[in-house]
Amino acid sequence: MEAERSMQVNREVKLESTKPKFSELLAEREVKERWEKVRKYFFLRESTYDMSNRCNIRCDGCYYFEGEKQFAKEIGDVEAWRELMQAEKMRGITYVVLAGAEPSLVPELLDVCYQEMPLGSIATNGFKKIPESVGYKLHISVWGNDETSLKIRKAKDLLKKQIENYENDSRAVFVYTFTRENIDEVKEVAAELVAHNCKLTFNVFSSPVGYTGNLRHDDESLEWTKQIMIELLKKYPRNVLFSVYNAVAHTHQKGLHDLYGCSYPRQNPSQDIGLGRSFRQYRTDLNWDRSVACCVPDTDCVDCRHYAAGSAVVTARLYRHVNSLDTFKSWLDYVDTYLAVWVMGYEKGENLCAKILEPPHAAV
Amino acid sequence: MPVSHDIKGIIRHVAEIIIDELKLEDVTADTFNPDMDLVDELGIDSMDLATIALVLQDEYRITIDEDDYPKLKTIRLISEYIEEKLVTKN
Repeated sequence: MEAERSMQVNREVKLESTKPKFSELLAEREVKERWEKVRKYFFLRESTYDMSNRCNIRCDGCYYFEGEKQFAKEIGDVEAWRELMQAEKMRGITYVVLAGAEPSLVPELLDVCYQEMPLGSIATNGFKKIPESVGYKLHISVWGNDETSLKIRKAKDLLKKQIENYENDSRAVFVYTFTRENIDEVKEVAAELVAHNCKLTFNVFSSPVGYTGNLRHDDESLEWTKQIMIELLKKYPRNVLFSVYNAVAHTHQKGLHDLYGCSYPRQNPSQDIGLGRSFRQYRTDLNWDRSVACCVPDTDCVDCRHYAAGSAVVTARLYRHVNSLDTFKSWLDYVDTYLAVWVMGYEKGENLCAKILEPPHAAV
Repeated sequence: MPVSHDIKGIIRHVAEIIIDELKLEDVTADTFNPDMDLVDELGIDSMDLATIALVLQDEYRITIDEDDYPKLKTIRLISEYIEEKLVTKN
């Protein structure tokens, strides 16, 4: 026991002595510049809002149509939404994520949100075009080629329609969700999107609670997904908004919660500071419930590798990523990616670290 | 310039670091209330606090545990935490 403790102390002393000072990490010009670039956005404080309980397609594994929230009454009153946005601003929210079930079906609500809160994003299936007056980032969900979309989303020519709607639209980021079944298909889809000069990023299917279907990943599919992500990042660096560390973090055998400790209220009881204090997930009846509040409610937390969750969870763990220059660079790449995907006008820089690094453990 | 390790000196230096890191314009190290709640009254968030903690670690050559961040709510509490760490270190 004593020997074990002694080894632990020695390990801590060794780590402490090899750990660089923060100022040393910032000594390289390009690192310092990237740090100064991303830290300007530390003021972003998000909450998410379900806009409608309707959708124009129905996808296998859709998180919205799980749990209680799908049965909440839909409040379509523009003034009620205006008041909500004003109240959100008052409590310090600076960024809105408009999601479930399909926000494009309620354009009048999107308009009023944008009028009151200038920074935000909308998760949409891209089937119906969102008016250009709504200046938010648009995340267009892609689950494969048109054949796959027809099979699992029951939507004909979906990719074609998405590209028609959002080609050359600076708001649009196409979000390819890797399931266990569509990994290689991404090559064809990415080539199509790049040919139309679209930006894309990657998501990893995260099972809703109780889901045991074919889309759920296993260790083998996660490893293969990581390799394909990195391959496409190298092949299309101007179109693919991603980094090697994004690939590592989102395809690890452990989910985001086990790796980083999820900071959303559903898994984080602390209300002292950060997301545990400020984040809310509003349903369509404009109520929220702390016990289920996260960016993808009704997702099985153990299996959560969702891109939206990672954007907050990995970013918040700055202090775990200062143990080496490469780790810090990887974190900067991750945050740079997140901002490019989520914030209008933010331009992604070149990635600083191409190495595949294991995510740092807590308190090391 | 050497960093003062008495509590008054620490309070002043922590105030200077916060002003510098957060680019605060309406306050100086002399006028910064050390008992102001940094989260509730000043509105700092977890990323600001993490940044300040990293700079303080450098300045005082101490380790600030991530689990302790929520305790660091005022300049005085931060300074007392640093003082305690310095005593333990020496």
